[in-house]
Amino acid sequence: MLEGSARSDYDFITVTQRDRKALNEFRQQCRRQMDRPVALRIKYGFCRTYKPVLDDAPWRSFDTMAEYRAWCEANLPEYLGYRRAR
Amino acid sequence: MPRKEFQPLQAQEIARAFRQQRVDYLFIGKSGAILLGYPGTTQDVDIFPARSVENGRRIVKALRKIGFAISAQLEREIIAGKDFVQIKSGPFDVDLVFAPDGIQSFEEAKSRSLIEGVFHVANLRDIIASKRASARQRDLIELPLLENFRAEYEKKHPQPLRSAAILAKGRKNR
Repeated sequence: MLEGSARSDYDFITVTQRDRKALNEFRQQCRRQMDRPVALRIKYGFCRTYKPVLDDAPWRSFDTMAEYRAWCEANLPEYLGYRRAR
Repeated sequence: MPRKEFQPLQAQEIARAFRQQRVDYLFIGKSGAILLGYPGTTQDVDIFPARSVENGRRIVKALRKIGFAISAQLEREIIAGKDFVQIKSGPFDVDLVFAPDGIQSFEEAKSRSLIEGVFHVANLRDIIASKRASARQRDLIELPLLENFRAEYEKKHPQPLRSAAILAKGRKNR
């Protein structure tokens, strides 16, 4: 028990340091991206991948956002991430 | 299904076409954040237009001009200002979001908006509020990164100080 608990504390510290490092790297990435011209931001920021169901109609419209969310929940594969978090 | 790559020129085309037709709109969502320098990726362009019959007509004209196939039925939906219109019949995908979650009104969002070259973009705080309110899995995962980007963006672009008179004028015009 004692050993497990000590290891947990160690893991926690390691993860926190790793998170901080990742956060600093992300913030540096933000600064680099803001320094790039808009054309490059678009070049790196927009990509296209086929999304099943979603891409299979030329257009769709919804009277309310709630209706659109309900449609996403009912029709889109979960892995696309359009469902509401529970 | 292979699809063409989104070209930087296309984003400028939509901004130019909207300006020519005097469309009242803002880029919103992750596409808006990317235009401001957010180091993420997205697949479509999210537009937050003002909801009016005239603005709807202008949107239809602008989209047709840059190669979107707008049927008579789709035209009616856009002019009616349906809350959400998703269009995939053009050179790139566009979502017209007339009532984004978490944003009270177009006019308020416009008064806080940012300009990046030819692009009129919703304020990052509004983009984040909208993503938070939508509560979708994909948005909630992105929120901490967007918040960190906002902190960096606001450090680089501090808001100019506004006098009490300007603030009062802004309140009066609402």
